Amino acid sequence: MDPSGIFFTSHAGDRSLVRTRAQWVCLLALLLALATLPWWASDRWVSIGYTTFITAVAVIGLQICTGYAGQINLGQSAFMGVGAYGAALAMAAGWDALAGLLIGGAGAALFGVMFGLTAARIKGFYLALTTIAAQALFHFLVLNLPQGWLGGAGGLHVQRTTTLGIALDNDRAIYWFSFVVLVVMTIGAFGIVRSRHGRSFEAVRDDDVAAGMMGIPVAATKARAFLVSAFYAGVAGGLWVVALRHVSVEQFTLFNAIWMIAMMIVGGLGSIVGALVGTVMIQLAREGVTSLGPSFIQWVPAVGQDFVFAAMNVLLGTVIILFLLFEPKGVMHRVEISKQAYRLWPFPY
Amino acid sequence: MKTFKRWATSAATVAGLVASAALPVGAQTVYQVPALSDYSGPFAAIMPMLGPGREGVVNWWNAEHGAKLGVKLELKTYDTRYDTAQTASLWPGVLATKPVIGLSLGGPDTSALQQRLPTDKVPMILGSAATGFGWRPNQWVMATRPTFVHEATGFLEWFQKNKAGGNRPVKVAMFTTEASPTFADLGKGITAYAKANPNTVNLVEMVYVEPQPADVTLQLRRVLNAGAELILVPTNIQQAVAVKRAMQALGKNVPIAYSIQNSPAMLQKLVGSMGAMDGDYEVHAGVIATEEDTEAKKFYDLLVAKYGLKAPWHSITTIGINQALVMVRVVEAAAKKHGGDKLTGEMLYNTLLETTFPAKDFYGFTGGGDIDFSVEAPFPIKDPRVNIGQVVGGKLTTVAKGVPVPKLAKW
Repeated sequence: MDPSGIFFTSHAGDRSLVRTRAQWVCLLALLLALATLPWWASDRWVSIGYTTFITAVAVIGLQICTGYAGQINLGQSAFMGVGAYGAALAMAAGWDALAGLLIGGAGAALFGVMFGLTAARIKGFYLALTTIAAQALFHFLVLNLPQGWLGGAGGLHVQRTTTLGIALDNDRAIYWFSFVVLVVMTIGAFGIVRSRHGRSFEAVRDDDVAAGMMGIPVAATKARAFLVSAFYAGVAGGLWVVALRHVSVEQFTLFNAIWMIAMMIVGGLGSIVGALVGTVMIQLAREGVTSLGPSFIQWVPAVGQDFVFAAMNVLLGTVIILFLLFEPKGVMHRVEISKQAYRLWPFPY
Repeated sequence: MKTFKRWATSAATVAGLVASAALPVGAQTVYQVPALSDYSGPFAAIMPMLGPGREGVVNWWNAEHGAKLGVKLELKTYDTRYDTAQTASLWPGVLATKPVIGLSLGGPDTSALQQRLPTDKVPMILGSAATGFGWRPNQWVMATRPTFVHEATGFLEWFQKNKAGGNRPVKVAMFTTEASPTFADLGKGITAYAKANPNTVNLVEMVYVEPQPADVTLQLRRVLNAGAELILVPTNIQQAVAVKRAMQALGKNVPIAYSIQNSPAMLQKLVGSMGAMDGDYEVHAGVIATEEDTEAKKFYDLLVAKYGLKAPWHSITTIGINQALVMVRVVEAAAKKHGGDKLTGEMLYNTLLETTFPAKDFYGFTGGGDIDFSVEAPFPIKDPRVNIGQVVGGKLTTVAKGVPVPKLAKW
């Protein structure tokens, strides 16, 4: 619902994502604040920033697969790992980081589409179990392929990463690179979900039998959802290589995939902005409890550090549980309700 | 004017007196030491012992050595949840505190930081054993112990000489898992060693099972039927318990060798009692936490009595003590050479590489040899040694100290 007095006289206007001047101002202010963050914030915020951006790219991909296409995916971390290995191989061979991201994304997409094809025949919990197999398969392949290929247990090391001649060898450079990639991937995600493919995803999610009756190729749509999702995860994996310059199998666990699902649910299923908001909220909560712990111990040394850190985790878990209890549809649902209430005020009915 | 001058002189004198009174006698330069920990992840159960071990040593060193050198180390604990991403995002904030050296916990720290530490110029000390895949030159995360494979092969050679007569290969089986890169690497390393040393070891089978196996009776029966006279389980607690229970179920008593992270002290409640492990071994390049009146135990008692150590005398506590001891000795050597107020991370890294730290400085908390790092490997490669403990009559006892480990080629 648009604010009172806002109406469009063209199709392009009606389809626009940013619909009011106030929204433009807020968006530009946010982008400006994020782009200039390394100049005015501490290094800690810079690193929180790029780890959040990297995670957000993977969560957006998951949102497309699960939130839009309704395909449960517990393999996102493995897809990210495949992308990371692909990107690491490319970057170690001297390729530009951008090329590395594309290669990583393509490799992960190929790996992901294999699991997408299984989604043609199974759904729900069975599909979830199948995607867990992606995690096991990734782990097994990396550890058992000849060591010269993927480095075995030691993983791959990248000595230097550059993009367009710029060395990505410090936190600020990594931050800006990740930021630009996130912006591009977010725009791409909006493009996908608003396209014919995005509508197919939603139709399959809502009722795949009805979608098939209407002429939507259900199996291909499900495979496509996995392909897109895994591509996003692969790009995130490539960014991970840029950030750490080292990739190993233990960095991509099932636990990470579960965190990504938590981020998506907290943000709100079926919303690209929800994926971003959920990632930021969970990441900030995790970083918050991690940062608060050491300071709290210094303020109150009588309380043991084992108690403090455990309590911090309990606090994080409690926040997420309360959130799911009181707003199971995610933050974006609450935002939409608030926005509507504000726009209707003082005539709530 | 005269009054003003007199007033200014008096004010300056008073200010000077106040300032000098406020300054401590022999001021110490304070250095931050980040202690990467895991109080809320997979190692949450061991941190309440490992963390205080680190703190006790730092408190002791600040009082007994740091005060004389004008150095005070401030240990700041960071909970990384044993997660690479968490460590990576945390580290730039840690760097803002200008640390000169740090304490690492394990793989995720190394994974997140190894490529950036040479630029950040902060060496880290790791209390765990090193890994074969981490055996690369020019590393900044230095383990106080050699690789798990070094430790196990040192024991195998000792066992072959002392328990099997030294004139025939020992029939050995090992349980490990492919689910963990570290333990998979261990399997590969032992297999490579057995292949290269057929006169010492006859590897009956390398048994790969789940990291948390429900039952391994079938696999154990198979290797015992093949004549295994020693079972290695230097991996985790769950595998150690599963192998021990299978041994009990089969009614056999073939000795099992564990490491420090799944030592008999960790297992005793899970398998019934220490007595249930009679004949089993504990092998690693750290102290065997027995009740014997050793130098290590005396040092631990000192930390408890005078420096606020509140953790029990346990193999896990000794990991923290071992790691912190190496760290403070590096700081000490650098401070003696360069002055306590001039320390930098690079200086400490160079000190690590240039100095041979005598074994006596570690009060028995290391394998027994001198600690001598080099650029070739991230662990002491010149004279690594292991200590061997055995459960005898329901009590853990030290059966061999400072056993040299063989020179191994990379596997």
